[in-house]
Amino acid sequence: MPTVRPLLLLAAALAGPAGAAERLQFNRDIRPILTENCYYCHGPDANHREAGLRLDVREEALEALAPGQPDRSEVMARILTDDADDLMPPPDSHKKLTPAEKETLRRWVAEGAEYQGHWAFIAPVRPAVPAKQPGARNPVDAFLLARLQAEKLNFAPQADPRTLARRLALDLTGLPPAPALVESFAANPTDRAYEALVEQLMESPAYGEHMAAQWLDFARYADSHGFQTDSSRSMWPWRDWVIRAFNANLPFDRFTVEQLAGDLLPDPALDQVVATGFHRNHRINGEGGIIDEEWRLENIIDRVDTTGATWMGLTLGCARCHDHKYDPISQREFYQLFAFFNNIDETGVIRGASNRTGGNPDPSIKVPDSEQQKQLAALQVAVKTAEAAVRDAEAQLPALLAAWEPGFRDTLAQNRPQWQPLSEETVRATNGTTFTRLEDGSWLAGGPNPAKDTYVIEAPLVAGTLSGLRLEVLPDPSLPGGSVGRNSNGNFVLTRIEAEINAPGLSKPQRLVFTEVEAAYSQKGWGIESLIADATARKAKRAATKGKNRGKGWAVDGNTRREANRAMLLTEEAVSVPKGARLTVRLVHDTLANHQVGRFRLALAGAPPESVTLAGDGAAPADIRDILARARDQRDASQQARLNAFFRAGFDSPVKRADAALAKARRELTAFEDKLPSVMVMRELPEPRPARILLRGEYDKPGDEVTAATPAVLPPLPAGAPRNRLTFARWLTSPEHPLTARVWVNRQWERFFGRGLVKSSENFGVQSDPPSHPELLDWLATEFMQGGWDMKRLQKWIVMSAAYRQDSGLRHLPADFLARDPENRLLARAPRLRLSAEAIRDQALAISGLLDARAGGPSVRPYMPEGVWDETSRYGDLRGYKPDPQGGLYRRTLYTIWKRTAAPPTMLLFDSPSRETCTVKRSRTNTPLQALALLNEVTYFEAARVLAQRMLQEGGATPAKRIAWAFARVTGRPPEASEAAVLAAGLERQIARFRAAPAEAEALLNHGHAPRPAQLDTIELAAHTVTANVLLNLDEVVTRE
Amino acid sequence: MSPHESLHTLGRRAFLTRASTGVGLAALGSLIDPGLTRAAGSVLADWPHRPIKAKRVIYLFQSGAPSQMDLFDPKPQMAAHFGKDLPESIRKGQRLTTMTSGQKNFPVAPSMFKFAQHGQSRAWISELMPHLASVADELCFIKSMHTDAINHDPAITFFQTGRQLAGFPSMGSWLSYGLGSANQDLPAYVVLTSFGSGRKDDQPLYDRLWGSGFLPTQHSGVKFRNTGDPVLYLSNPAGMDRTLRRDTLDQLGELNRQRHEQIGDPEIEARIAQYEMAFRMQASVPDLTDLKSEPQHVLDLYGPDVNRPGSYAANCLLARRLAERDVRFIQLFHMGWDHHGGLPNAIRGQCRDTDQPTAALIKDLKQRGLLDDTLIVWGGEFGRTIYSQGTLTETNYGRDHHPRCFTVLLAGGGIKPGFTLGETDDFSYNIVRDPVSIYDLHATMLHLLGIDHHRLSYKFQGLDARLTGVEGAKVVRAVLA
Repeated sequence: MPTVRPLLLLAAALAGPAGAAERLQFNRDIRPILTENCYYCHGPDANHREAGLRLDVREEALEALAPGQPDRSEVMARILTDDADDLMPPPDSHKKLTPAEKETLRRWVAEGAEYQGHWAFIAPVRPAVPAKQPGARNPVDAFLLARLQAEKLNFAPQADPRTLARRLALDLTGLPPAPALVESFAANPTDRAYEALVEQLMESPAYGEHMAAQWLDFARYADSHGFQTDSSRSMWPWRDWVIRAFNANLPFDRFTVEQLAGDLLPDPALDQVVATGFHRNHRINGEGGIIDEEWRLENIIDRVDTTGATWMGLTLGCARCHDHKYDPISQREFYQLFAFFNNIDETGVIRGASNRTGGNPDPSIKVPDSEQQKQLAALQVAVKTAEAAVRDAEAQLPALLAAWEPGFRDTLAQNRPQWQPLSEETVRATNGTTFTRLEDGSWLAGGPNPAKDTYVIEAPLVAGTLSGLRLEVLPDPSLPGGSVGRNSNGNFVLTRIEAEINAPGLSKPQRLVFTEVEAAYSQKGWGIESLIADATARKAKRAATKGKNRGKGWAVDGNTRREANRAMLLTEEAVSVPKGARLTVRLVHDTLANHQVGRFRLALAGAPPESVTLAGDGAAPADIRDILARARDQRDASQQARLNAFFRAGFDSPVKRADAALAKARRELTAFEDKLPSVMVMRELPEPRPARILLRGEYDKPGDEVTAATPAVLPPLPAGAPRNRLTFARWLTSPEHPLTARVWVNRQWERFFGRGLVKSSENFGVQSDPPSHPELLDWLATEFMQGGWDMKRLQKWIVMSAAYRQDSGLRHLPADFLARDPENRLLARAPRLRLSAEAIRDQALAISGLLDARAGGPSVRPYMPEGVWDETSRYGDLRGYKPDPQGGLYRRTLYTIWKRTAAPPTMLLFDSPSRETCTVKRSRTNTPLQALALLNEVTYFEAARVLAQRMLQEGGATPAKRIAWAFARVTGRPPEASEAAVLAAGLERQIARFRAAPAEAEALLNHGHAPRPAQLDTIELAAHTVTANVLLNLDEVVTRE
Repeated sequence: MSPHESLHTLGRRAFLTRASTGVGLAALGSLIDPGLTRAAGSVLADWPHRPIKAKRVIYLFQSGAPSQMDLFDPKPQMAAHFGKDLPESIRKGQRLTTMTSGQKNFPVAPSMFKFAQHGQSRAWISELMPHLASVADELCFIKSMHTDAINHDPAITFFQTGRQLAGFPSMGSWLSYGLGSANQDLPAYVVLTSFGSGRKDDQPLYDRLWGSGFLPTQHSGVKFRNTGDPVLYLSNPAGMDRTLRRDTLDQLGELNRQRHEQIGDPEIEARIAQYEMAFRMQASVPDLTDLKSEPQHVLDLYGPDVNRPGSYAANCLLARRLAERDVRFIQLFHMGWDHHGGLPNAIRGQCRDTDQPTAALIKDLKQRGLLDDTLIVWGGEFGRTIYSQGTLTETNYGRDHHPRCFTVLLAGGGIKPGFTLGETDDFSYNIVRDPVSIYDLHATMLHLLGIDHHRLSYKFQGLDARLTGVEGAKVVRAVLA
C-alpha cells in the first residue's frame, strides 16, 4: 500500500530540488514548517506570544536561532530535545516535526538562517518567458512545458475537436455547444476555426451569465435577508449589472471600483450606483429583540472579510478578535480596514413590518429600465405642469375667498346640525335578524342571531348633496352583557358598509365611495380603516393572513367597553342627490360568527366632507368661526392663512381643482415609483462614523478609535488621497498591489483547470500553498495589469494554450507520473471536471430544447418539491413556494429564487454554498443524493421526456439513428458501437415492457408541464424517455472532459 | 498494483487527509463505502483517542428555548418575590434583548407549576413532565449551561456549529467528516424536524443548522422530510418501478464502465458506486421510515401522536430505528418553545408533544440494550428569564431570552445516570457552581464518541478549525459514568 509519501514527493518535486548542494530557500523549504508548527505561539499575534519569542521576524529571532551555529541554537535545542517538558512544539499542541523537517531546520540555521518575505506580499515582477519549445502555442505553454520537461514529460495530445468544442462551450458559457457548432468545427478543426469558436462563445450573452454565477457566490447574493425570518429582498438589478459587466468585458479595475465605490465616483451613472449593491448583499438581521449596533457591526465585518477573500485572497477575519496568527495583519489594521466600510447611511438591521414582509432597508434606489425611465420622465413633467397650474390658480385666491365668505357666514348662522337622522326608513336583514324601532330612532336587533347576517336599511333622500354616513352603535340591556353587539361576549365585527343611491333618473344605482373614516373608538387590530380598504388591498390582506381574521372589520372591544360608539364614513367630494332618490345601506357582518351589531342608528351629512365632524357640531371648527367673526383687518396673518387653508381644502374653486390635479399627478408618480424595481446600494454619510477596535471582536467592548488605513505589509495609500472607499478600491487595483491581479488570475486558472496555480485559491497568506508555477502566475498577473485588466483577454491566453487543449484521458500517462502527480498540478493532461450545479441543470434544459434563454429580471420559480420552504418555517413572506409555469420553469439556473435558510435543494446537493457568507471556492463532491436528483427530479425527468420527443421527431427513422442522434446531443460525439448496442438493447426491452403495461407508459409521460405532441406513440415515447433518462445521467454528460 | 488503482487509492487518501475541495477522485463522502473509509482510518487516523462510550448520538433539540425554572430548575423561594422587581444585585447590568430592555420594571414571575422529587436520585422535575419523571434515574441534569448569544438565530447557530455566524460546520457534519458512516445505506447524519403545538408561529429552522460549512458538502446532515419523499428525489417517477430502475442503472453502469475503460478516471468508478448506493437507499429508506412493522405496544409507548407523520413522537420512534441502523448522529428539532407571553399555556402544549415520546425513546432504547452506547441530549439554545415579559398574573406570564443559565439533559452512553451538575442562584439568573459552556458540552460529546476534540480539525483559511473553537473547551468529567 502506498502511504502519503508520493504526495510529499510531489510537493518536493513541485517546489524544486533542495539537494544537498543547493542552499535552502526560506519560502520554499522553511516557512511551511515554521507556520505549521511554530507561529501559532511565536508568530505575529502579540497577545498570544509565548516566552516573548517571535520567529516570523529575523531580527527578533536572531538570538534564539544563533545563525551559523546550530549547536548553540536554543531553537534547535528545544526542537531536538528528548525531554517532553522542553520539547517544541509541545506535545499537547498535537504538532510534531518529522526527522526530515528537523534536519532541514538545522541545515537552515547552519546556512545562516536567512529569511525571505512572503512571496504573495511582494509585487509581481514580469518574468522572462522561457524559450519557445515545440508544442508551445503561447507563453502560458512555455512556462508549463519548461516545468514538465524538467520531469521528462510532455503535454498530452490535443483532444478530439468535438470534445474541445464541448469543453469550450461549457467552460465559457455554461451551456453545451449547439450541435451545428460542433459539426462545423469537427469538419474543419483548424487553429483559426478554434480561435473563432472561442471568440464566438465569448461574445454570446450566455458568457456573462456563466461568469456571473461564480461572482454571486463571492458576493453572497440572494433574494432573502438570511437570518431567522429570512424574508425577501430585491437585489436582482445588481445581479443583472454583473452579467452585463462580464458581457461588456468591463475591465477588472473598473469592475472593482464600481462595485466597491461606484457611489463615490464623480457624478456617477445609475449603473455605477447599482454596482455598489455588492456590499449590500450580506445578510441583514431583523429578529425581534436584537440590538441594532451589534448587527450593524457584524455586517461591516462581513464586508471586510468578503473584500479580503474576494480581492486579496486574505483571511482578514482571523484578525477580528486578535492579531492574525500567521499573516502580518494586526487587529488594529483589521479595524482600519473596517473604517472604510463603516460610514454607510444604514441601521444595519431590518426594522418593523419588513422583517416579516420583506423589502430593501435603506439606502436603496429605484432602477427603472429605459422604457420605465421614459414613463417616469413623463410623470415628472405632469407634476411640474400641475405645480405651475396651482401657482396660477393661487393668484385668484384672495378674490375667491372674498366672494365665498359672506355666503358661508350665512350658512353658519343658520346653524343646522350636520347630521340629519334618516327618516321613513325600513330595516330588514338577509338572514333572519329582526328589528325593533326604539323611541330615540335607533333599531334594536332581535330574533335568532345567525352566524352571518347583513342588515339592509332603505330610506328616501332629500334632493341636494350627500357627503357622509354616520353609524351610531348603542348599548342595550337586552344585548349580551348589556353591551353593543350580539355575540355572547357583547362584541361585534362589522365587515363592511355598502351604500348606494337609486333614483328615477339613474340608469343604475350609484355606489357611494367612501375615502375617509373615523371612529370614536376602535379595537386594536380591528380598526375602522378596514371598512374602506379598497377591494384589491382587502384581497391581498386576506391572502396574507389566510384564515386569520385580524384586520377584517371594525370592532369595539364590546366585551369590556359597553358604551355607545360612533363612526362616520365620508366621500371624497359631496355627491349630488337628484329628486326622488332613495338610499340603500348594507351593514355586512361576514368575519366572525354571531358578531352582529346589536343596536344602531344612522344619520347623513351633506356639507363639504372637509367640514364634517364626527360630533356634527357645525360646518366649521371653533377657530374658523372666530376668524370669520372678525373683520378682515382684524385678523392677523396666521388667522388669514388658516382661513385660506380651510377654504382651499373644503370648497370647490379653481384652486381646489388645481390642488386636486396636483395631488393626483403626485399620486401617479409615487405609485409608478413604488412599482419600480429597487436595489440596495451604498450611500456614504456626510461625516464618517467613528471606528473603534472591538476588543475580542465584541460589539460592546469598543477600544481605541482608528481611522481608515491599509495594512502595513501592503503598499501605502497614495499620499493626500481621501481615506474613503473610492481610494481603497483604486488602491486594490493599483499596479503596486501584490495580491489583486494574482488572485484574479489564479481564479481564472482554477476555472479552466479545476485547480489554481496556487491551490489554496481562497488564501494567499503565509499559510497558503506555494504556487506550482510561480513565474507563470506572475507573468499572467503582470500581463493582466499591463493589458488594462482585460478579463476576456486573460481568459483567451488560457483557452488558446496547448495546455488547455490537451486530451483529458489518463490512460496514456506513464504509471510513475500518476503516482507523483495525482492532483494533475503539472498539467500533463487536461482535467476532467464535474459540471457546476448551474451547468448541470442548464445543460439538461438546453439539450432537451426547454431552455428559456431570456436574460435578467426578477428571480424565477422553477420546480421545487412541496414544503422545502415551509417544513421548518412559519415566518416571513418566502413561504408557500409554487413553481411558476408562466415563464419560471426553464430559465437559466442563476435566475432561480434564492432563500438562504432553505436554498434550492438541487443547488446544495451539487455543492453550491448557501450564500450566507462569501464563498470563493466550491467543493466538488460525488454522492448518491446527486444520483437520486439526476434520476428522479422532475426537471431532469421532464428533460428526458422532451429529449425523447425530439428523438422521435428529429432523430431519424430507426432506433439506431435516434440513439446516435441523442447520444451526440448529450455528449457532443457519436456513440461507439458497443455503447449504441447497450442503449439499443435497452430501448427494445423497454418497448416490450410498455407494450405489456401501457398504463405505466402513460404514467411515465406525465411529468412536467412541457407539452407532449399528441401524434407520438405512447409506448415508443415512454421507451425513448427511459433511454434519454439513462443518457442524461452518464458520467460523461455531467463532466466536462 | 496498476497505476490506476494506485491513483484511486491515492486520491481517496489524499481527499480524506488533505484536500478541502476534492482531488481527482473528488469527494467520497460519508455515504460511500464506509468499510474502506474506516480502513483508510477516516480523517481521524488514530481514532479512537479515548474509549468509545457512545457509538451514536440522538440529540433532541428543543428549539426556541424551554424555560428551565418551569421544568427542571425549581425555585420555590420565588413565590415570596411574586411581582417584585428583579434585584439589581442579581441582574448586574447584564444585557437584555430589546424586547424587554425597555420595560420599566422586571417583575419576578415564580413558576406556577408544581415540582416533586423522583426516583432514587430524588431529581426535581415539574408536573409538566410526568413521563420523564418516570425515567428520572436515567437522566443527568446540567443546570449550569450558559451561552454567549441572546437572540435565536445566532444562539442556535452557536449550539450547532460553535459559532454565532453562518459558514461553519454543524456538529453532525463534523462527525460525518471525522468518522464517516457506519451504515452502508444511510448517511452519517440525519435530521428530523417537527412543529410544536405550544406556539403556532414557531421559531424557524435553517439549513445551516445541519450544514457542512466549509467541510465538503456531502457531510451535510440529510434532513428527512415529513411530506412526500423522506429523502429528496428518492422515489422513481410514476411509471418507473424498481425493476425498470434496475434496468436503467444496468445500462448506465455498463456505459460508464466502458467510458472508464477509455478514460481511466477513477471518478467514474466512484460515480458508478454512488448510483448503486442510491439504488440501495431507494429500498433502505422506505424500510426505515415505515412504522407499520412496529408492534402496538411500542406505538403505545410513544403515545397517540406517533401515528401522525412529522410529529415529535413519530420522529422519536424514527430516531430509535435510525439508531438501530447505526446512524451516527440523529438530530431532532422540535420547534415552538419561545414563550415570550402566555407561557403556562404554551409550555403545556410543548410538554404534551415531547414528554411521553422522550421518555419512551429512553425506555425503548434501554429495553433493546441500545441505551448503553447511545448518547441522548435534550435541550434548547438558551434559557429564559425569571422576570416576566409583559403582564404578570398568578397564572399567566411570559419569559424573555436568558443566555446566562439553562438546563440540558443527558442520558445513555457513558453518562452518569441520576446525577445533577451545577447550580443557579435563587432567581435562576446566574450560575453559582460548575458552569458548562457549549464548547465544553461539544468536547464532552466528542469524548464519549472516542474523539479528542483537539484532534478533530480541518484546515480552513490557514487555521486548524475545530468544533470546539480556540478558547479552551473542557470535557465535563463530572457527568461521565
